[in-house]
Amino acid sequence: MGLGLIYSCQKTDVSIETLSIPQPQGFPEVVYPLHTNPLSQEGVDLGKQLFNDPILSIDGSVACSNCHTKSLSFTDAQHHPSIGIFERVGTRDAPPIMNLAFRREFFWDGSVSQLDFVPLAAIENELEMGESLGHVVSKLNDSESYPNKFRKVYPTMDTITGPLMLKALSQYLLTLVSADSRYDQYQRGEIQLTDEEQRGLAVFETNCATCHVPPLFTNEEFLNNGLDTVFSDLGREGITESSTDRGKFIVPSLRNIRLTPPYMHDGRFKTLAEVLDFYDAGVLPSFNLAKELNQNGRLGIALSSDEKADLLAFLSTLTDYNFINNPKF
Amino acid sequence: MKIYNFIFLFAFIVFAACDKDEDLMASGQSEVEIKFDNIAIVDGVQRQLTMVSPGDTSNFDYNNAMDQPFNITLLKYYISKIVLEGPDGAYYEDEILASATESKGYYLIDESEESSQLINLENVPYGKYNKITFTVGVDESGVSEGAAAGSLDPATSAMFWNWNSGYVAMKMEGHSPVSAGGASGNTVDPSIAKGMAYHVGGWKDIDDSAFVNNVRRLSYDFDTDLSVTGEGHPNVHMVFDVISLFGGENLIDFTGNNNVHKPSDGIPFANNYTDAFAFDHIHQ
Repeated sequence: MGLGLIYSCQKTDVSIETLSIPQPQGFPEVVYPLHTNPLSQEGVDLGKQLFNDPILSIDGSVACSNCHTKSLSFTDAQHHPSIGIFERVGTRDAPPIMNLAFRREFFWDGSVSQLDFVPLAAIENELEMGESLGHVVSKLNDSESYPNKFRKVYPTMDTITGPLMLKALSQYLLTLVSADSRYDQYQRGEIQLTDEEQRGLAVFETNCATCHVPPLFTNEEFLNNGLDTVFSDLGREGITESSTDRGKFIVPSLRNIRLTPPYMHDGRFKTLAEVLDFYDAGVLPSFNLAKELNQNGRLGIALSSDEKADLLAFLSTLTDYNFINNPKF
Repeated sequence: MKIYNFIFLFAFIVFAACDKDEDLMASGQSEVEIKFDNIAIVDGVQRQLTMVSPGDTSNFDYNNAMDQPFNITLLKYYISKIVLEGPDGAYYEDEILASATESKGYYLIDESEESSQLINLENVPYGKYNKITFTVGVDESGVSEGAAAGSLDPATSAMFWNWNSGYVAMKMEGHSPVSAGGASGNTVDPSIAKGMAYHVGGWKDIDDSAFVNNVRRLSYDFDTDLSVTGEGHPNVHMVFDVISLFGGENLIDFTGNNNVHKPSDGIPFANNYTDAFAFDHIHQ
């Protein structure tokens, strides 16, 4: 009894209150193994600081937030493709960061399938941050403030390590849940959509929702959407080594799509109107074109100009201003 | 009649319970050491592996099955999920943990670090064992736990791919006079002539996909039973023969195959594991 009391007192000293991540209505279960990384406010704050700190790059010039700007659902405000260390130019458009807790595949080609390893890929990419995890860790251990901040999250740690840093970054990324757009409010019965938006929703459900499946607005499949006939970027094939995956990229989420121009893996379309025109009349044939884009002998998805206008109105309902204005993020 | 049945059943239960008590009295746990010894079998004789310094293109101690000379500058591989089994049902499964503060059951065998070649299994139940099973590499259950410490720490292990994110199961680097050079690795780079780098990775199992899974589960029988009784220092001595890595089921030709960095190129090496690893002997 006495021992138990002492033990619980000691435990209270070092225990950290666990946070839960939001589980929006209708969303799938969290994929991320939370048992490996119990969230705490201290951990999320640390992850946020790391996300915004160029210490993660080799020359101290590039933070995650350089190319993932909160006000644009964490896409790149200025450069397409993004600019990394020593002004090196990337090869693909920086994807948004949201709802990663519910995702199984990361990056345009699904090169990573565990969230902890996503920042690692950017940190060690020669075009992005050009660092090694080991060197980042030694810089953090040498810094004035980070050892104490890490100790608040991991009270029993001796030194900062790579896994501890990656888990802290994941804690922050996991909290970035976007599920309060006008579309979500409509789904919850809180607001009405305009007539135009309603019509756009109907067009969307008929023509787009097979791949851009709500509520994440992606089925997380890798598809060739007919952008090219010759593929300068092999896409998914680079990972699977299977030629049937040539030119395939992951179906992107459409949440906050208005905020994240330009569009497609290489950012070739500046506006959503161009994207809709492409799906209507620009889809190119190839051996592994997504079957959804080759129905009844017609390439692409027939959309009238009225339907396009309605669809654009609907896509605007997917913008989550509470997400991009959330001071916690 | 029913009563007789009942009495019989009752007696059986009492008897069974006594039997169990006897088992408990004889039970206990102790340590078993597994040694992974990297060797080269030359002219039928096992030799301790010797490595050379990076850039050494004048000393070649070994020849592959195609009689191409080579030397070694780096040899590392993961052994995980060890299981011991015995003829009478004895069973030990090594604890597995991949957390940010600690990993258990994932061992990185590094030729340059002798202590890494000794694996100490704790809490092995008393009994007789005649078979070991282990995984070469880190399978999906390890990757899915995310960033992990110890032998799995990507910052210190240098055994992690970002481009096809996951753990590399085995790395072997060195030189051969017949190598075309141009290889990239931890101890060789394209500026070094004659370099070779073999990084065997690929862990994913996805139905209907072309993903290549080079993680292998291997089993080996012992020639005698290993008795774990709480006395002595039971030790299982496994060997890994680098010559067989290049010349088992699949011959590796150093002239055309000296730089392996993707799962499909790693398949022949992974398929050679079975012959390259072997049970050698037991100490009691």
